[in-house]
Amino acid sequence: MLTLLAGGRVIDPAHGRDDLGDVWIEDDRVIAPPDPPRPPDARHDVSGMVVLAGGIDIHSHIAGANVNTARLLLPELHDAPDGHAAVPVSEVIGRLYAAMGFTTVVEPAISPHVAVQAQCELDAIPFIDTATLTVLGNGDFLLDLLRDGESGDAVADYCARTLAASRGLGIKVINPGGAAALKANARAFGLDDVVPGYGVSSRAILAAVQDAVISLRIPHPVHLHCSNLGLPGNVETALATIAAAGDRPLHLAHLQFYAYGTEGPQGFSSAAPRLAEALAANPQVTADVGQVMFGQTVTVSSDTLRQFGARAQAHPRKWAIWEGEGNGGGIVPYRYRRSSFANAVQFAAGLELFLLSPDPWRVFFTTDHPNGAPFTAYPDLLALLMSRELRAQWIATLPKAAMDVTTLPAIHREYSWAEIATMTRAAPSRLLGLADRGHLGPAARADVAVYRPQADHAAMFRNAAMVFKDGRLICRDGEVVETLHGGALSVSPGFDAAIDARLARYYDHVYGVKHTAFDVATAASGRRFETVPCRT
Amino acid sequence: MIQSIASRSGELRAAVAEAASLLRRSRTPVIGGMMTDIAGAEAAIALAGAIGGVLDHAHAGPMLRDLDAMREAGVITVTPTEARARADMVLIVGAARPSAMLALDVPPTLAPERPRIVWHLCPGEAAATPAGERVVGGTPAEIPARLALLRALVAGRTMFAHLPAAPDLAACAEALQSAGYGVALWSAENLDAMAVEMLCGLIDDLNARTRFAGLPLASPGNVAGIAQATAWRTGYPLRVGLARNRAEHDPWRFDAGRLLAAGEADAAVWINAIDTTPPPWRSAAPLVAMVAPGTPKRRPSAAVTITVGRPAVDHDAVLHDPTLGALAAKAASAPSDLPSVAEVLNAIRAAIGAAEVGAC
Repeated sequence: MLTLLAGGRVIDPAHGRDDLGDVWIEDDRVIAPPDPPRPPDARHDVSGMVVLAGGIDIHSHIAGANVNTARLLLPELHDAPDGHAAVPVSEVIGRLYAAMGFTTVVEPAISPHVAVQAQCELDAIPFIDTATLTVLGNGDFLLDLLRDGESGDAVADYCARTLAASRGLGIKVINPGGAAALKANARAFGLDDVVPGYGVSSRAILAAVQDAVISLRIPHPVHLHCSNLGLPGNVETALATIAAAGDRPLHLAHLQFYAYGTEGPQGFSSAAPRLAEALAANPQVTADVGQVMFGQTVTVSSDTLRQFGARAQAHPRKWAIWEGEGNGGGIVPYRYRRSSFANAVQFAAGLELFLLSPDPWRVFFTTDHPNGAPFTAYPDLLALLMSRELRAQWIATLPKAAMDVTTLPAIHREYSWAEIATMTRAAPSRLLGLADRGHLGPAARADVAVYRPQADHAAMFRNAAMVFKDGRLICRDGEVVETLHGGALSVSPGFDAAIDARLARYYDHVYGVKHTAFDVATAASGRRFETVPCRT
Repeated sequence: MIQSIASRSGELRAAVAEAASLLRRSRTPVIGGMMTDIAGAEAAIALAGAIGGVLDHAHAGPMLRDLDAMREAGVITVTPTEARARADMVLIVGAARPSAMLALDVPPTLAPERPRIVWHLCPGEAAATPAGERVVGGTPAEIPARLALLRALVAGRTMFAHLPAAPDLAACAEALQSAGYGVALWSAENLDAMAVEMLCGLIDDLNARTRFAGLPLASPGNVAGIAQATAWRTGYPLRVGLARNRAEHDPWRFDAGRLLAAGEADAAVWINAIDTTPPPWRSAAPLVAMVAPGTPKRRPSAAVTITVGRPAVDHDAVLHDPTLGALAAKAASAPSDLPSVAEVLNAIRAAIGAAEVGAC
């Protein structure tokens, strides 16, 4: 099947391309224009439209025990007037992402012991390819290794074995040591705090896992949820964490939630400019924003220490905390209000990170769905980034006192199409090691989104004019044309199998179960797994 | 009456065709039992979506009692494996007994220097309390009041000293607050909604000073796993209706037993691939029964009976594992040719779909 998208504005930052031209697709791949020429089987006139690779979302909580508990916690949200819950069901997740032109989404927080459920849920999401990040950094086995001063090889073997068993694409570390400390009745936990009973600091856990990821040559660096999320003055934690990374690559998740100073009349201010400076000075560090938008949502996190503390802010007043091996999870509903000083500062801090960022290759587009906002808010957020005038309209509706402790009103920058394409396509491909997507070069997977420019940018991004997945036209103007199911992406670094014998003994004694009981059995899951190569 | 006991036989094809015909004619079909694996649940949800049916589970009642405590107030829970590793204080409420994996008689494996202290609140008459466990006596009916008194004591309030259980309750409240990591364990099969909510409130209160978490024991029939699957497919736990092109959840309205007893449902599918409990309903509505091998016949017979494979016995499956507190992939222990629930339901759905296309 030969398909031609003819005469569009093709923007492909990975290849420095931004011109009027054609995109050719043969079966499931992008190809160079056929030579000698051949007539296409399908020709789509996309003149006047913008052609991008399919979008890649690097951080969106779309599956797993925590997300599903959020669904069960908030039955009232499923009757939302717009029909889109903050935590939609699997089928709706796939359909809404596809309509927006996103074709790959990473679920960024799956604890190894609940990986089977996550893969079952992801299998129920149509259209898009998916991957998970495996959560490590609070489990007692790892803390044991670190307490005993075991070798980096032992830590790497453990990480690789767990990654393989849970079928992750990379490793997520969430408030390293914080969930373990909560079990010992700690209520706060910072970078230099020590896990009770283990004598290991948060900083040491992070460094050990970073070293393991580097030695295993996993493409995606450690994906870190820092300690002290959401607290006034926590910019110092983020800056100290960046400094601690040294030369090691590090991805900071939802950085907006760490962009808070203590200035101003309420002792709460945006410190986003300081973080933007730190990002500029540290090219080994990447970050996604975790933008806050206004409305009812639910916070879903494996940072049990933080969520335990956030119970008092639940809206509506109910919540679920569960503790398990390693991180566990906390689900706390929350409503971001325009009239709230703090929420308005959060909104501004996120936009400041986007707009003051020196480099769209290193600052990624997320709302930390559903924590800052549901992913259904993406079109509005993209529109805000592209229009200073639209931002001014929003700012006018927010408390002036809040805007006074941010720099947002003074920022004039507007994102260009090329920057949007970089941030949502080319850069995620590079960050995750997904060489076959995020661009439109020959041999790229034929995931393509075509947008029809219009004054209302949000409307344009909400329903792409055409979306192709693996070369098949799946959506047109937001309507499903063909339903298909994507695959699952994971890495498979090698490890010394001796770690299995150690885990078997540990699990038998400590947990009374087999350590393999939690493993994702690829045959039983029905998933089509594709192994992403590690770096050579 | 069509009965299929052979696998992949002409009889099975005929049974599927008969079931499809029966369900296609139905205006309000219910799919109950739902004691199957995750693939079976997903197939049942898809079938219910196609025929506008209702989904219920034989053990939805206790599952919903636990869930109501969460969605009305809030809960802190812990996995069974973590409880084994960490709990130096265990409060058992009602007649529940934990699995041997929890090893209550030995110290927590990650804190072996601390003894594991076990209190049992209202164990009931039949329970033989193991030596070393401390007891606050009481009947099942007294559980909510006992829990309320414990909450009051933990909150620092004084209590009427003349109550016979007062000394035991005071000692228990004192002990709970001295826990390093306490775990309260119960089965909603034995507790009413008030008791579950009061207990979850007590757990939350205890966390003001120390650490405490709940361990609700999962009810049988993979209900915990099935509720997860219905949640990611429909947004809701069980007792879901799919008749209006969107999912609706109502624990009373979509109770399969009530719908059949009241004559509101005009066809029923019973699914039990996990044990040999036969369908409990007595109803004039025609019944399609999908049962595990060895299930006793019932009178009056079902219109269609299909013998299906047992998950993790006859075929590989994903099931909620109560010792892990999570969904787990299980290999078949004695693989056979019996069709899985998912295969049969998907075949029925395909037969209904094919007939409807033909009708157009």
